[in-house]
Amino acid sequence: MIFITGPLYSGKREYACALLNCSMDELEQHAVWDVQDLAAACGDLDALADELACRRVVIATEVGGGVVPIDAGERAAREAAGRLSCLLARRAERVVRVFCGLPMVLK
Amino acid sequence: MFTLVIGGAASGKSEYAEGLVLLSPHRPRYYIATMEPFDDEGRARVARHRRMRADKEFQTVERYTNLSALRLPERGTALLECLGNLAANELYGSSGAGGLRGAFSAIVEGVCSLRDQCEDLVVVSNEVFSGGERYAQGTEDYLHLVAEVNRALARHADRLCEVVCGLPQYFDTQRGRPECR
Repeated sequence: MIFITGPLYSGKREYACALLNCSMDELEQHAVWDVQDLAAACGDLDALADELACRRVVIATEVGGGVVPIDAGERAAREAAGRLSCLLARRAERVVRVFCGLPMVLK
Repeated sequence: MFTLVIGGAASGKSEYAEGLVLLSPHRPRYYIATMEPFDDEGRARVARHRRMRADKEFQTVERYTNLSALRLPERGTALLECLGNLAANELYGSSGAGGLRGAFSAIVEGVCSLRDQCEDLVVVSNEVFSGGERYAQGTEDYLHLVAEVNRALARHADRLCEVVCGLPQYFDTQRGRPECR
């Protein structure tokens, strides 16, 4: 599994399409994105990471860079999203961060 | 050489970008300022920065919108700071292009026009995209604009670096100097 991360609107899905040689419409056959949104409602992040790791490409948006949210729920969601990314990076054979459309291989 | 320098708040991006300009052999040095001062705090900030740059022999050019109309008197090195302000001015300012499409074109074409008038160009932009996505609609438009401008300019730039804690991380642009338009 290739794990792609990066800031909001940085071109992660476009990069995945280039990597998989597919169109944006075909991307969902091979990849799953916005997985940071799955973390909050999930009781078992390890199990979620295992399940996601079966896909060829997993994409998450970095959401941990701002000020700690006042709302407890948002705080927990952000925490879970960050932890999920770490778990995915551990399972991935390659980790790429896309920044302004340009990839940097982290692992 | 066109270098795009991106960083978060207080990441050291401005100082690093200034350093790049000082390394360039091409004179004169222009500083293209995009922040319009609205109050005493803003004016004091601008005055202090102008004094600091005068020591480094920068000529300050204030330009809040419509970068394409700017003509530099000589071919030298320019530092444009910053795209975050320019984006806000083009999107919301009274003299701005207004609207996402118009603002996007004004900025990208403006930067390309500037690049064509310089030997070396350094553009500073802002990393504001990793703090979540719960924003009001107006902010969402602004984020989209800055993100699209950053990505478009990253395609045009010879070098892209993200400054983290004052340290530059260079991305592999994997190409020579592309044509602008």
